[in-house]
Amino acid sequence: MTSATSEWLTPSTRTELIENLVSGVDRYNPSNVSILEDYLYHQIRSGEYDCLANLAILKLYQFNSDLYNPDVVVNILLKALTAEPFPDYNLCTSLLDDRLVNMNPDEPDPLPVLLPILTNLYNLLHQCRFPAFWTFYHSDELESLRENYIVECVGFEEAIREVAARAVKATFTRIGLDRLGTYVDLSGPELEMWIEKQGWSLDISTRTVSIPSNPDNEIESVVIRENVKLAQLQKVIAHAAQVK
Amino acid sequence: MSAQRMALWAAEPDLDDDINDVDIPLTIPPYQNADLYDDPNLDESALLAVQAQIAQQTALAQIPDVVKRFIVHFHQAVLDNNLPEITLAYESGWNRLTEKFYARTEWPEAEIIAPLVNDDQIFLILYRELYYRHVYSRLQPDIDDRFHSYENSCELFNYLLNSEVGPVPLSLPAQWLWDIIDEFIYQFQSFALYRSRPANKTDEELAMLGSEGGAQAWSSYSVLNVLYSLIQKSRVNEWLKARAEGKSDEEIDEIVGEYGTKPLYRQLGYFSLIGLLRVHVLLGDFTLALKVMDNAGLGLCAGEKVPFTAPTAAHVSTAYHAGVCYLMLRRFTDAARVFTGCLNWVMRARQYHTRSYQYDQINKTADRMYALLALCQTLAPTRLDDNVINVVRERYGEQMTRMGRGEEGLGTFEEIFLYACPKFITANPPPYNDPNTLALLINPPTPSSPSSPTPTSGTPTITDPTQRHLRALSAHFLALSPVPTLRSLLKLYTSLDARKLAGFLDTGVDEEEVLSWMMVMKNAGRCVGRVRGAAGADKDEKNSASTANGSSAGSSLLDGEWMSISDLNFVIDENMIHIAESTVGRRYAGWFIRNSEHAARVFDGLRASPLPGSLPGAKTQGKGGEAKGDTSKDTAPRTSGQKVAWSKVV
Repeated sequence: MTSATSEWLTPSTRTELIENLVSGVDRYNPSNVSILEDYLYHQIRSGEYDCLANLAILKLYQFNSDLYNPDVVVNILLKALTAEPFPDYNLCTSLLDDRLVNMNPDEPDPLPVLLPILTNLYNLLHQCRFPAFWTFYHSDELESLRENYIVECVGFEEAIREVAARAVKATFTRIGLDRLGTYVDLSGPELEMWIEKQGWSLDISTRTVSIPSNPDNEIESVVIRENVKLAQLQKVIAHAAQVK
Repeated sequence: MSAQRMALWAAEPDLDDDINDVDIPLTIPPYQNADLYDDPNLDESALLAVQAQIAQQTALAQIPDVVKRFIVHFHQAVLDNNLPEITLAYESGWNRLTEKFYARTEWPEAEIIAPLVNDDQIFLILYRELYYRHVYSRLQPDIDDRFHSYENSCELFNYLLNSEVGPVPLSLPAQWLWDIIDEFIYQFQSFALYRSRPANKTDEELAMLGSEGGAQAWSSYSVLNVLYSLIQKSRVNEWLKARAEGKSDEEIDEIVGEYGTKPLYRQLGYFSLIGLLRVHVLLGDFTLALKVMDNAGLGLCAGEKVPFTAPTAAHVSTAYHAGVCYLMLRRFTDAARVFTGCLNWVMRARQYHTRSYQYDQINKTADRMYALLALCQTLAPTRLDDNVINVVRERYGEQMTRMGRGEEGLGTFEEIFLYACPKFITANPPPYNDPNTLALLINPPTPSSPSSPTPTSGTPTITDPTQRHLRALSAHFLALSPVPTLRSLLKLYTSLDARKLAGFLDTGVDEEEVLSWMMVMKNAGRCVGRVRGAAGADKDEKNSASTANGSSAGSSLLDGEWMSISDLNFVIDENMIHIAESTVGRRYAGWFIRNSEHAARVFDGLRASPLPGSLPGAKTQGKGGEAKGDTSKDTAPRTSGQKVAWSKVV
């Protein structure tokens, strides 16, 4: 049995080369940044995710401001958004030291504009306000983010739907079809297919979706009683035997 | 012998007065107290030679004799690798003389006292280490002090790490080694904070910070390099692994090599791990910080065994920084457990540390941990150790009530975090080498100025990184703000319609919003946490059986399992909220067992003592039995020598 964090600590898709970089002191070597950046773009194309490797990139940027590449940072943050409810997004922003805005007008740094938008997206996810997330996501304000970054990030919307699915799965046993649709920004046959893929069942007549039971959506009242073990009484019993 | 020696430079006030009465310049009668100084290792003629130089250096002559003697003695102790003497001089002599002569001024510079120690460079490096530490703690270090203390640290570590003869033949007490590492990081932090404020610096300071050497001094890379080098040279991680695997002493010696077998290097390596934890926290890398400690573990604070007796301050620093990491990782149960473990231990160890000069520092850190614990309890209330939680309630009861009211508690939440968090630093300096940008940074152009077309993106600003971390945690606090109200309402029902619940809440809250709050609440009721193999079993966790396997697989501090931390559980069936509350029955057994054992000890004590009349001076042994319980119970009841056979089997 693997722990809840093992895939986050060492994703099964991580190669040995990356593992050595992430766990060794070579992670501080600025010349390795391209290896890690290539790995990030591999994650972007394949839908894989490796938070610790991405943090290693941000660490190198933190120490070597000349390596800084805003496009990479935006991509890392997009990937981190999909890890909610894990705090990956905050772990990434923690490493983003305030930097001097690039004065070069030909190559403006997109991050100062995009960071508040990304943080807003993150907060909506964190507050489980999924319909609001999708409304904001489709708004004009996000056009540049969508067209320049998200379009490249394979499976981004699907991963966000997974975030919603995790929250719904824990909270509901049954949920209205239309409501679920607003959470995952799907409707009609697409939504039905998505529900089927989740392994949830749809009752068309009542338009409700049933979610199989899991440890989080099964509840029962428990009275926790204390449980005395013999070992705890060892001294008392031993003493009684001696006094005789 | 040592007591007699100590008297010379440390104790008797009348002796000190004698020395102070001596007219200072030039003609000091040679060694009027020499007969008192009975160290056979010290040769009279060497002292006389030193004395000749003293006459030439008025600076040296102005140093009180008692201090000179202390330095000569200290030097000799270091030369002899005499740990008890070094410890005495380090922990008591230095501090006493500081109080007496250097409470408000620097100690004599190393160059001045050099003749006293035969120009021993190694001792002078160690002396400067103390000298600068004193400047940082008692006085205001100027920029020269900051640069020189960095150079001295480099020399010290260079000597330890790059000596041509292999491991250096030096022994220092663990406390001093810890202080060296701790102070190194403190000075790094202090420099980073000093550097991050370019306003109010003199031209000279700006020039020094802008120079190439200025950019190098206290750079993050150089600090990390020192710590990683000490860790690698001492092979402390390999040592810890080998110990954990139960290898024999010979095998371990083989593994750690010529450096790792020396206590000096092993301890420096171990303390460097803790130092690295702290540096990573200061730089905001909370995952890497915990990863560094994977082999070392969190020691006493997590109920684990420690490889050797490390100074109290080392444990406290470990717990504080590891707890901060867990807090920022939103693993509140782990944070609370580390804080509680450490605070409990500090509480018990307090009686032994009241006189230590580190007592203040330890107490300050402990106070911060209580504050952070109050935050943990607000974000994820769990059952904690009674003793510790009582202190938290005593100090932060009012604030916790305020934070429990949701949004209006935000101010209190931020206030406590800012008080209790470490002083985070940025890795890089402001652009001191670029005066134009720097000028812009100090005096940003007014946004309304028509000359700058994009005022917001063109203005560089440097903000305190603490604000960034605060924002992350505050956002979480705000996300949870509806939870306390929901909780108190849901507690009244076993099932409730979501629309009805929305009606109970403030106007303007619709059903959709309530449902999103419910999902937030669900997330807040679970938490990833480390499961301790043994302790997890009797934690009454329902899923402890399934998690027991996981804990043995990985020992990483970042490892964890989902666990439910809320006693109020609920689930939503379409629109209907079903609520189930778990209750914890009162625990009697612990109290009963403790008191039975106590009664048994009192009984044994009474039986062992003579009858009242026969010996009037007989003391009541039961008094104070609570504190000494552990020792008395081992000795007292064994009188019969009888052992219950099955007690071992259990």
